Amino acid sequence: MPRKFSLWEGFTIAVLAVIACVMLLPYVWMVLSSLKSNMDIVSGSGGFFPSKPSLDGYRTVFSEAPFVTWLLNSLVTSVIITVVTLFTSALAGYVFAKHQFKGKKLLFILILATMMIPFQVIMIPTYLITAELGLVNHLLAIILPNLVSSYGVFLAKQFIEEIPQELLEAARMDGSGEFRLMLRIVMPLILPMLSALGIFTFMNSWNNYLWPLIVLNDESKMTVPLALVYFNGTHQVNYNVVMSAAVLITIPVIIMFLIFQKQFIKGLAMTGMK
Amino acid sequence: MSTAISTNKADKVNPAVKSTAYRAKRRFIIISLVPILLLFGVFAFLPIAWSLGLSAFKYDPLSSNAIYVGAENYIRMFQDSIFLKSLWVTFKFVFIAVLINIVITLLIASAIQRVRIPWLKNGFRTVFFLPTIAPLAGTAIVWNTMFNYNDGLFNMILAKLNMAPIQWLSDPHYALYSIIMMTLWADIGYNIVLFIAGLDSIPDMYYEAATLEGAGRWHVFLHITLPLLRRTLLFVSITTVVSYFQAFPQFQIMTKGGPFNETRVLSLQIYEQAFSSSNMGYASAMATVFLMIILLVTLLQLRWGRTQWEH
Repeated sequence: MPRKFSLWEGFTIAVLAVIACVMLLPYVWMVLSSLKSNMDIVSGSGGFFPSKPSLDGYRTVFSEAPFVTWLLNSLVTSVIITVVTLFTSALAGYVFAKHQFKGKKLLFILILATMMIPFQVIMIPTYLITAELGLVNHLLAIILPNLVSSYGVFLAKQFIEEIPQELLEAARMDGSGEFRLMLRIVMPLILPMLSALGIFTFMNSWNNYLWPLIVLNDESKMTVPLALVYFNGTHQVNYNVVMSAAVLITIPVIIMFLIFQKQFIKGLAMTGMK
Repeated sequence: MSTAISTNKADKVNPAVKSTAYRAKRRFIIISLVPILLLFGVFAFLPIAWSLGLSAFKYDPLSSNAIYVGAENYIRMFQDSIFLKSLWVTFKFVFIAVLINIVITLLIASAIQRVRIPWLKNGFRTVFFLPTIAPLAGTAIVWNTMFNYNDGLFNMILAKLNMAPIQWLSDPHYALYSIIMMTLWADIGYNIVLFIAGLDSIPDMYYEAATLEGAGRWHVFLHITLPLLRRTLLFVSITTVVSYFQAFPQFQIMTKGGPFNETRVLSLQIYEQAFSSSNMGYASAMATVFLMIILLVTLLQLRWGRTQWEH
């Protein structure tokens, strides 16, 4: 292709720019709505812009919502889930890739098969089991069922199989135990895959809505997405309040994304994960 | 015993070392796999079997007595007009949303891929990908206010254009399309990134050869880009279909299935039957049908993808 700035390319960029502006519109709407004063909303004269920008919404969020508790609930559960899932995936992946035992193939296929099962299919029994364990309305109910990932095991196995056997043998000759071998040799070698898995595990658990909706009903136990919806239900009229909460939740997510953007996109292309 | 560790060359040297090494490995396998398998067992294998079993019972968790009803739940389903309606709505939603999704993501991705200014290319990709990382529940709430009849963004725009306002979420003609619009906004970033990666992996020489032969843009896209993108296309369409079948937060938050069940997708119907109406047996039967539908559709896509491949 000729390397000059063609009319066609200019046209493409212009169209993309217009669509990109449309994509950004909801963010602009969210921020502007959060700055509307209670007066603006009660009078119903609300235009696109707040008539007089105010922080009423933000003030109400901090005085009425246990905002920090929600963030902590989400943070604690998501971090634990991510760290443990990375470990269990690498461990199971290592065993399935580099060890032999009876029934290995069948077990691996069974684990893979669970990948095809939509959550709606298992949510009822999972709820009954959680209730049986006495964990309803407890943060452990969020953590416990999510400590293993069939997709994680599958990915880890694929990547660990690539590690040359000689490398492991050499370490074994030096007297390394299997756990040490996994931590010191296997895990560092599959680090790019683990970081992709980590990002998406964290994101899925941070954004999860359906499962917390089923097992959590106490406002102080809620994770961020569920709490936001609950809060929306109690502040239906003053949408500036809910928009303020939404802004507060979205900003850290966007900052995190801008920092880790490269890993995100690379990870998505590498694992095909959502 | 020796077959189990035949890959281990060092073991062949010294039988004493062999047995201790073997036992150590054995212990490692057991210690590491047992807890993991326990978790898979309790939270994956058991629920699947339980769900199938439960679908043959009438079960209300509050009274906690299960009555065996055989296939009654399944028979009831096909006489239940709300279930049939939700089946129809689910297919409608998945079909329309996936179709639009793939067409626009493919177009946007090929447009972005053609931008040769690196910072602009990255910028576009970031803007389109950004909505995918926010919780869908939060997005649903923001869009709820945008769809508001009195002071929402969309009716504001319509008013500027001198058009009559629309009940975006409570008019049965528009509700599903409003949700599709929101879902697409929230979700097209994934497929755009995947398509850009797919397009990037097509070697330039194909395009160069085509341009030398004087092929037009449309011709190149249809006869070179699309066939070479088949693998990505198959992957994207399967994952999008599966994830749209399971779409839940936007329906539960924005319309709760209304108006007149026009947005009552299956995943919402299963949830409400199980946790609002406490019909867990009936909900499990629906979930089983739901699973069968998803497996069947995936299988059909795979088969279709393979025939396309060979030709």
